Amino acid sequence: MVQTSSKPSRRTFLGTVASGVVAFVVGAGLGWSLRSPETREVTITRDRTVTVTQQVTAVKTLPKDTIKIGVLGIRSGPWATYGTLIEQGAVLAMEEINAAGGILGSKVSLVIRDEAADVVKQARELVEAEKVDFLVGVDSSGNAMRVGPLMSELNKILIVTHAATHRFTEELVYKQKIKQLFRVSVPVYQDGILAAYVAKDLPIKKWAGINPDYEYGRVSWQFFKETLSKLRNDVEFVSEQFNRSPGTTDFSPFLSAALGAGAEGIFTTNWALEGVTMHRQMKSLGVYDQIGAVIMPMGYSMDVVYELGHEYPTAKYGTWVSGRYVWFYPNTTINQQFVENFRKRWNRYPAYSSETTYTALYMIKAAIESTGSLDLDALIKAMEGMTLISPAGVRWIRPEDHQALYDVPYGKIAHTGGEIPILTDIVTKSAWEYYRHPPFG
Amino acid sequence: MLELLGHQILTGLFRSSYYWLIASGLTLIFGVTRVINFAHAAFFVLGGYIALTVDILTGNFWLSVAAATLAVGMVGTSVERVLVKPLYKVESLYQLLITFAVTLIINDASKLIWGAASRSMKIPAELALPVWIAGRSYPLFFFIIIATAVAVFILLYMVLEKTFWGLKVKSTWRDVTMAQALRINTGRIYTTTFSIGSLLAGFGGALMVAFTPVAPGLGDSLIITAFIIVVIAGLGNLIGAYVSSILIGVAESLFLLYLPEFDILLIFVIMAAVLLVRPWGLFGER
Repeated sequence: MVQTSSKPSRRTFLGTVASGVVAFVVGAGLGWSLRSPETREVTITRDRTVTVTQQVTAVKTLPKDTIKIGVLGIRSGPWATYGTLIEQGAVLAMEEINAAGGILGSKVSLVIRDEAADVVKQARELVEAEKVDFLVGVDSSGNAMRVGPLMSELNKILIVTHAATHRFTEELVYKQKIKQLFRVSVPVYQDGILAAYVAKDLPIKKWAGINPDYEYGRVSWQFFKETLSKLRNDVEFVSEQFNRSPGTTDFSPFLSAALGAGAEGIFTTNWALEGVTMHRQMKSLGVYDQIGAVIMPMGYSMDVVYELGHEYPTAKYGTWVSGRYVWFYPNTTINQQFVENFRKRWNRYPAYSSETTYTALYMIKAAIESTGSLDLDALIKAMEGMTLISPAGVRWIRPEDHQALYDVPYGKIAHTGGEIPILTDIVTKSAWEYYRHPPFG
Repeated sequence: MLELLGHQILTGLFRSSYYWLIASGLTLIFGVTRVINFAHAAFFVLGGYIALTVDILTGNFWLSVAAATLAVGMVGTSVERVLVKPLYKVESLYQLLITFAVTLIINDASKLIWGAASRSMKIPAELALPVWIAGRSYPLFFFIIIATAVAVFILLYMVLEKTFWGLKVKSTWRDVTMAQALRINTGRIYTTTFSIGSLLAGFGGALMVAFTPVAPGLGDSLIITAFIIVVIAGLGNLIGAYVSSILIGVAESLFLLYLPEFDILLIFVIMAAVLLVRPWGLFGER
């Protein structure tokens, strides 16, 4: 449900962000002017002795030379490619940070583990055996809900960069007060709620849902139905089906049932190989000729885009897709630079979980640099309410639920002959408008 | 209403045929060698990968199906000769473990060779020809798969029931010691059956890759359904496995239309019911 009554206004939000930025600038300026100058004498002996007096800025140093970051992603099974996408973002950020002198002089190193091989065991080993200082990643919502509660015991910060269930931040952070958890990627508000704003303006009245049968698929469909019903009272949800995931390779009976129910549009949160398979089979079975629109929130994930390429089907009123970041949005220098560096390093456009994991590493860097220590409470305090200028735009870490607020657009698949299809008819909305807000009724 | 039902039964039959292409080899191998071949669906997916690669290289889908069938047949034969053969005399648990190990090796090898991302292809143009039935179009591929499944069933049935070799297989199936006493080379029967089963997996996987994706570890999801179908039929029962493929495929499809919430559960409920009432399977012998 979208809570409107307790929602603070956009003005308050912008005010908060603006005051945060101003405070940051003022604080930094103050810190700079108040820094204790250190004077030391350096004697250089050549043919004669001169005395040079230099001013050297006092540098905070960390108690260790290397900051270890544990990275969790799916690295085996049908979704294995997602572990690679997380890894690529993490590696790029690590290389950049280390090349620029590390974090307060300490180098960053990564320890990468497969969350599909028992996420709880992996997280425990990362902290207890590998002695990592932070954890980032996690692809699956189910895994995020399993590993989340463990973090208060392990007492390390976990920044989720993909798993999308709203329960991670709403329940684990906001209600259960597990302060060690953060998320820099958009939750299912993107997949369910913003998707309904896209559907609102389409000439489609009968929607069918074909969604993966687990947390992510079910909550997204629920949000989509609830939001769209509020936005328009002439829509019907004629068919709702849930497919096994991973492991559904034949969607023909699902599609046949959706057509049988008279669907004019199909909403599906199937992703990765199931997303690709659905598109291909909808095309082969002529479904694309019989329905008006398709909404696939994770349809602009780079694995799907590269796999379908020029064969990415388009429906009469559009195949509407999004991600947790799309590479061309927003059109800022920092984003262009990121995309360029990413393409140089990995020879591909960045996937969303690459960007979110990249940003998570910079978030850790920013927190350590502002506190000058690895003290957990201080780091959590620094991250709460932090404003990050990232490739995906300005992210604000909401203090109550540790969820990053930033906007990610939807768009219509279009083929312009480039390396991958692009998006047109971009639909954006301020995260403040479509996110759910505390106290999450 | 009737049309709706017809469409749903047709997609159900397609799904049944897909199931049967996996279950046929699995039940054949179990029936004769008593080995629960956990790697069977991994062979199926491997067939898909090989076909996809050959298709990209040559542009000839039928050539790729032939190549994948033979390649997977060879892999299967090697696995039987080298890994499974020494374990025939010990408990079946060890055979399950060794075939599970093969699954892990195939999964990781395919990740190494073809990458972690899933792969898929467009239906070849000649198989994508639309066939119109009651207002909806189906690719010709749909009917080719259904027909192929029937053909595989008839062929296996004829070979086992109407040939002398089939008689030897059935004797081995019934009683290995007696078959050996009759100077039947049971070792060779085992190898041949395992090879035929693997050929079937390669063939099925290669055909289906035109419609379904391949990904590392995808076989792990497919094998569960295939096992359930074989268990419902009665392990090792060929006719039963075909009937139970049709039963499960069509039932799943119809439930999607009328009771979608119950659909994923369905196959497990049927299995539980069969195991309670007839633990030896619907068509199995006590």
